[in-house]
Amino acid sequence: MKALYIASTGMSAQERNVEVISNNIANMRTTGFKRQRAEFQDLLYQQVTRAGAQTSDQGSQVPAGLEIGSGVRTVSTPRVMSQGTVSMTERELDVAIRGEGFFQIQLPDGRTAYTRDGSFERSAEGTLVNSVGYTVDPGITVPGDARGISIAPDGTVEAFIGTDSAPTQLGQLQLARFTNKSGLESMGDNLFLETAASGAPQVGVPNSDGTGDLLQNYLEMANVNSVTEIADLIAAQRAYEMNARVISGADQMMQATSQLR
Amino acid sequence: MENAQLIGLSRQIALQRQMDVVAHNVANINTTGFKAEQILFEEYTMPVARDRTFPTMDQPLSYVQDWATIHDLSSGTAQQTGNDLDVAINGDGFFAVQTAAGERWTRAGSFGISNTGTLVDQSGNPVLGTGGPIQFGPEETGIAIGADGSISSSEGAKGRLRIVEFANAQELTREGQNLFAGGTPIAATRSQVMQGYVERSNVSGVAEMAELIRVTRAYESIASLTSKQDDLRRTAIQRLGDANA
Repeated sequence: MKALYIASTGMSAQERNVEVISNNIANMRTTGFKRQRAEFQDLLYQQVTRAGAQTSDQGSQVPAGLEIGSGVRTVSTPRVMSQGTVSMTERELDVAIRGEGFFQIQLPDGRTAYTRDGSFERSAEGTLVNSVGYTVDPGITVPGDARGISIAPDGTVEAFIGTDSAPTQLGQLQLARFTNKSGLESMGDNLFLETAASGAPQVGVPNSDGTGDLLQNYLEMANVNSVTEIADLIAAQRAYEMNARVISGADQMMQATSQLR
Repeated sequence: MENAQLIGLSRQIALQRQMDVVAHNVANINTTGFKAEQILFEEYTMPVARDRTFPTMDQPLSYVQDWATIHDLSSGTAQQTGNDLDVAINGDGFFAVQTAAGERWTRAGSFGISNTGTLVDQSGNPVLGTGGPIQFGPEETGIAIGADGSISSSEGAKGRLRIVEFANAQELTREGQNLFAGGTPIAATRSQVMQGYVERSNVSGVAEMAELIRVTRAYESIASLTSKQDDLRRTAIQRLGDANA
């Protein structure tokens, strides 16, 4: 019975769907999180009769073919890279990106990761790091006696050092853009990695060449919409149940067959 | 005597196929742009040898034959996703995509941008505009798609999505991966696109479940017919073979 296998592809697809939805809901309060959506495609068709096959010498043709599909597969879980809402935090090292772009984070193994999570901290040496302690690239060091750090929309970081009355420029934050940002690989910790599908990063200063500007004292929240997620969850659960119902229907048919003497 | 069983068998095989179609529809209940399939049956009248010796003529035997699957091309619900590159078609049109095997048609408008900046579908096939694939530069932002399919970004107009319609969409064949093949495309006149939406599958869960019940019941009743036929024959053989008869 083909129906059994077809329905099982349906059940596993819906299982995946629920996994994606639950990850979205779990990360509803994660800074800079981008929701994912499971995308499905139908599987191959068995062509029992081809449409257009000739049915007589006079050239009459089959108007519609007989095609039996073989189920569904999860093809991708693209991230929806829409802007999350920004929320005020009153912390001077919290930065939200308004528009396109990612902060660059130097991983301990030398690679560069990308993130929308701008909740930065100062390390013991005064270096600007992310909340796991990885250095923000390009490196910016804030001296211990700095006060009144300001981050401008174009990424310029300034602070008053000691008793100075004029601010000193400490560096400028940069943003990386990708041709295909949905193709980035998620590595957890709010970080993304470059892949062959995403293309190479184009690094630039904020507020130029299509990159967004920066907003100090704000953080970008997750772009998860709870109502959408719950609606999707219900749809996924019902779809799962219907697939299970198909399996038991197919089983009932097989039982009818096997009870024949 | 065996005719009834063979006819029953033709029905059972057809019902199994119908069950496969139901299963495939239900499996794709959350597939973007999926169109439900329906299976059609027809009567196949068996030509039998006729003889007028008997007072009543031999009756023709009718078998059942699954004849075609047709596409239910009604629109699915449009679901808002907020993604700039999700496009739903309002109307009868299809998007055109370029595959290795030639042009294919799809209703699944959840597109993306490849690493080279080309607009692609979820399988990575380039989505066709009226003048070929649509290309975006690395610095472009704010991609907007108008109701007529025209695309613009911060760099200005980028072309127009190629939307095709078919005089007879039933002649399209399915290829999997949300793609349809074949047919004679004509330029769309009755279709509009909506940016930020995807078209959900048009499978109706209720209708499919009702169909499922009908199919299983019909199958069971044929199975019981077959076993009654068998009983009948066995009894006949027993009675006829009884030495006391």
